[in-house]
Amino acid sequence: MDVVVKNSITILSIIAIPLVIALFILWALVKRVHVYEVFVEGAKEGFTTAVRIIPYLVAMLFAIGMFRASGAMDIFVMVLSPLTNLIGMPAEALPMVLMRPLSGSASLGLMSEIMKTHGPDSFIGVLVSTMYGSSETTFYVLAVYFGAVNIRKTRHAVPVGIIADVCGMLGALIICKVLFGIL
Amino acid sequence: MLNYIWTFLVLVSLVVAIGYDLYDEVFDTYRNGKEFSVTISLTDQSSSGRFRGIAHVTAEYYNAHYGKNVLAHNMDIPIQCTVDSVGNGTFQLFLPEQAPQPWLTMAKYSPVKGSLLGVISRVRFVGTHREAHAVLCFEPTHFVKMRSVTQAAIDFVVTAVEIALGLIGVMALWLGLMKIAEVAGLLTFIAKILKPLTRKLFPDIPSDHPAIAAILMNTAANMLGLSNAATPLGLKAMEELNKLNPQQGIATNAMITFLAINTGGLVLIPATAIAVRAAAGSSNPGIIIGTSIIGALCATIAGVTASKVLQRFSRYNNEITNNEKEK
Repeated sequence: MDVVVKNSITILSIIAIPLVIALFILWALVKRVHVYEVFVEGAKEGFTTAVRIIPYLVAMLFAIGMFRASGAMDIFVMVLSPLTNLIGMPAEALPMVLMRPLSGSASLGLMSEIMKTHGPDSFIGVLVSTMYGSSETTFYVLAVYFGAVNIRKTRHAVPVGIIADVCGMLGALIICKVLFGIL
Repeated sequence: MLNYIWTFLVLVSLVVAIGYDLYDEVFDTYRNGKEFSVTISLTDQSSSGRFRGIAHVTAEYYNAHYGKNVLAHNMDIPIQCTVDSVGNGTFQLFLPEQAPQPWLTMAKYSPVKGSLLGVISRVRFVGTHREAHAVLCFEPTHFVKMRSVTQAAIDFVVTAVEIALGLIGVMALWLGLMKIAEVAGLLTFIAKILKPLTRKLFPDIPSDHPAIAAILMNTAANMLGLSNAATPLGLKAMEELNKLNPQQGIATNAMITFLAINTGGLVLIPATAIAVRAAAGSSNPGIIIGTSIIGALCATIAGVTASKVLQRFSRYNNEITNNEKEK
């Protein structure tokens, strides 16, 4: 059953893009839209949008890159681990929780490293890959998406993102404990 | 908020880096200026005083020298030296990749990356010139963390531009396709179908607005793990949302709700995590699919709820009212 679901999702993700392209163009043809001209008209925006993101992305990755290189993460893990021990989160998973919203590549590295030292099928291995699989690089998304429309005042977007991340990580921890660990 | 987090990240990085470097200076982690004796087996010797060989480093001596138990076995490392008639000169130690700390760090910040440079002295040849005893003094290593933080800042800035420029192609493709769909009325059509679902989530968006269709397509692309399509569609959605924004430059409630859904990271198959698990030799790499979906659902529900709750608090609306006053 699992395999059937998984296979159908895989097939769906392979055919999704060709299907959407075909649907759009056929629909446009029925509506007698000059597809080529309209496509070019829309595609023009691609360059300006990408370029508009640059300053936002530079600012964000600059700070995150420094943070990663400084080794400040180790200190945060040291300070926070007594707290997370209380809720039963293994200390090894803490760097993942802290790094996931900041940097996709750093958290990918952390995940691979934990797999190597603890094994992918250990509780920590399953927990960390669940954490990785169930969340997004929040700060990167914020920088890119708000950057594309030149938004500098983000209002409650950052607290919302952090609340979502914390809840997602806690959810991952609880479900992994229920299914694979000792609660 | 982003101002504080940004400043926090930058300042904390600098303070921590200085802290680490001060620690290294105080405890002399790199034993700058201290002498390190080695025995070298010569492999190649020319008349000009230049010779190559293998430096034998014993674990016992290494650990005692650096005051740490880092080296488990004795180590043989290729070395190249240039020595004058008295037995003084320079050397280059070609470190292997699995060299112990602190040598690995020292080599990373050495003028010749991957090698340790320095001054060799008191070279005494023994036997029939097949072996030599000598004393090494490494080039001093200072401010390792500060240098790596500076380097990271520059590297990441370059990466940022590469990411943005790399988006141009897919952005153009999807914006072109979305324009076709928009002109053909397809986006309005999708938005109308989804009206019952989106009216609650995005009460500020007119029910037939193209933003709804872009949001839906972005979410669908994310769930299917099509990141190449998801980002352009998401940016298209942001642009559509921004058309409804009365104060340019300030995020609207709808934008923040949309980002809450987006950063929730709902994926049907977390392909990257599964691939890493498979590469690490997992017996069941796909076991995390279910748990990941539940984790992402928690994040998405919490994010959307938080966006709905926080938008009510006047503190977060201050910026808009202030802006209106300015106008």
